[in-house]
Amino acid sequence: MADEMASSESMGLGKSRIFTPEVINDIHVKADLGRYRMRGGGIFKKIPHWDELVFLPGTLTRFVIEGYREKCTTKTVLGSRFAKNPLELDIPIYITGMSFGALSLEAKMALAKGASMAGTATCSGEGGMIPPERDFSTKWYYQVIQSRYGFNPHHLMLADAVEFFIGQGCKVGMGGHLMGQKVTEQVAEMRSLPAGIDQRSPARHPDWLGPDDLSLKIQEVREATDYQVPIQLKLGASRVYDDVRMAAKCGPDVIFLDGAEGGTGAGPHIATEETGIPLLAAIPEARRALEDVGLADEIDLVVAGGIRNGGDVAKCIALGADAIAIGSAALMALGSNKEVEGADYQGTFGVSAAEFYHWHTGKDPAGITTQDPELRKRLDVDEGATRVYNFLHTLTLEVQMLARACGKTDVHSLEPEDLAALTTEAAAMARVPLAGTSYIPGVTESQTLEEIKTLLAKHVANDGGGSDV
Amino acid sequence: MVAMNPPTEQDTRGVRNDIRGLAEPDAEAPKVARIEGGTATFDAADLSPRLVNLELRRLVYGEGVREIRVENPGAKHSIAVGLLARCRITINGSLGYFGATLGDGPEIHITGRVGWSVAENMMSGVVVIDKNAGSLTGAAMRGGDLVVRGHVGARTGIDQKGGTIIIGGNAGSMTGFMMQRGRQIICGDVGPGMGDSMYDGAIYVGGTVAALGVDCVEEELTPDDEELLDRKLGIYRMDRPDTFRKFVCGKQLYNYDNLEPSERKLVL
Repeated sequence: MADEMASSESMGLGKSRIFTPEVINDIHVKADLGRYRMRGGGIFKKIPHWDELVFLPGTLTRFVIEGYREKCTTKTVLGSRFAKNPLELDIPIYITGMSFGALSLEAKMALAKGASMAGTATCSGEGGMIPPERDFSTKWYYQVIQSRYGFNPHHLMLADAVEFFIGQGCKVGMGGHLMGQKVTEQVAEMRSLPAGIDQRSPARHPDWLGPDDLSLKIQEVREATDYQVPIQLKLGASRVYDDVRMAAKCGPDVIFLDGAEGGTGAGPHIATEETGIPLLAAIPEARRALEDVGLADEIDLVVAGGIRNGGDVAKCIALGADAIAIGSAALMALGSNKEVEGADYQGTFGVSAAEFYHWHTGKDPAGITTQDPELRKRLDVDEGATRVYNFLHTLTLEVQMLARACGKTDVHSLEPEDLAALTTEAAAMARVPLAGTSYIPGVTESQTLEEIKTLLAKHVANDGGGSDV
Repeated sequence: MVAMNPPTEQDTRGVRNDIRGLAEPDAEAPKVARIEGGTATFDAADLSPRLVNLELRRLVYGEGVREIRVENPGAKHSIAVGLLARCRITINGSLGYFGATLGDGPEIHITGRVGWSVAENMMSGVVVIDKNAGSLTGAAMRGGDLVVRGHVGARTGIDQKGGTIIIGGNAGSMTGFMMQRGRQIICGDVGPGMGDSMYDGAIYVGGTVAALGVDCVEEELTPDDEELLDRKLGIYRMDRPDTFRKFVCGKQLYNYDNLEPSERKLVL
């Protein structure tokens, strides 16, 4: 007879999928800490992602472009709506805003140098301009961020483009975080803060509240910069359709959408996991919004969030992005999450190099997300710059490869029609057909409903309203 | 009254507007100012903010004029922004939002009122407003003196990083919210939530304080504080209240990841 209390494993009922060992450990840690947990990096949980889309290259219905002989243009121009000098990039990818503070001086310099080698841009991020980064960047975004740490109108005049940071995909609705161990004297002085504090940046801008004020704020910065450079609004992907409609009406040249996959140097784990929508769902919503306000041809769309390879970049472009910004992948290209001589990831952080997410601790063995002078020595600026350049170049080759296979002589000619989805979720979010079918969840049903309505209307018109009922 | 040049075909062709009519990328300075010696005067009644700023920039940078008077500003937004040179500008009237912002060096005197975010991110120089100012006055200001002889709205000196804000009248709620450095001298009364989450700096209040914000505490005035108050109010010829109280950061939130259990509810 079975004994429920028997210790035999074969009698076990199973394991909780809700209270997993990680969840239980998390509860134990919080019960000790009395606060939410901080970490670096992006979302951990599984969400619909670019892996669930594939390209439909040319076969007989479309002819393809020769891979190594025929041109496939990658030049990308952003902000030609009102800016006298739109941002001209050689490739459709640039390095997104990451602060000096979150990153070491050497990392900022290497990213700037690598991006310039690739003919593309970098962005100041929060915390103000560091002159070496500006010197190495041939194209440079200056961020107008909520905290305005280190914001200086003289530096504004040096910008090739201005980005208003309104939110980020990783932690939509929140300001930046920089833990005390990274707030060194230098970082603190640049931000006009006491050294060593746990810095939590404001979530709202100090000088405007809603879209009406934002349109005036944009006007102010345009006046200050004499309309020379593009104005870009960076939004975390949330209520994308309404947010992009509002953003477009505020008068920017470029809108930047950051998907939930985006990373951060430091943020609450709970925010990283629980805020924002995936980029593949956000881009179609943004395109629809821009079409509906009649500005689809005027306002450029930049996207970011969890971009890993040229396939991801090409899919963003196909869904409607004009350019793609990368952050986490650029840090990895620099050497983040890589075994380093003399470093003991497992012993120090309890995880392998590849699973290292402790960017917030300031103890990055690769010398990238740290202010520690000894760790910083591990990052050689020139070597790092070459790696960043190599990676940006590879991404571009991969995008070109996919674009040529789809019969495009310009990577920007990729379109939703070039894509199919592998899951119904991805099909519904990205609004491309499920592979092997013409079914787009939501869209197909709407079209069918419209057809039924039309047929019914015709029927009613033909028999005069069905008086013989 | 200064004569206005009628808009030429060139002027109007070059103007493209966005939905809100705020964008004029191709405009050129209207060249309407009357320059006499080192002083220039122009009438802004029929000029857009873009044209007013182009004219100011032409005078300051192009003509080397150091003293400018603007008549009929008409409460326009974003006037006299981003001026990075020493000059003296009198605006005879009122301004809208974002007046006299992003400056480094100018002395700007506004004889009327101003809307939100006046002198936002000022680096150095002086901005004096004779009447009232709206909310977010001196937001993220980094240096210089910002003087409002009348009353101000909410969140004066939000994210302030330096400089001195002097208010002759009363200030609204959340004054000095998240203030980082610098000083505020408020001669009148202040609303609730004063100094909430401030990091550093000092707020001097001559009148009453409705309520302090989180982590803002009172401190004794020192002789240095008294000297500062006398000097600053003296420079701008403002009446000095008999007594001032001084408020600073309590520094309990500096590392709130390490708060003691008894302190944790501060942040709720």
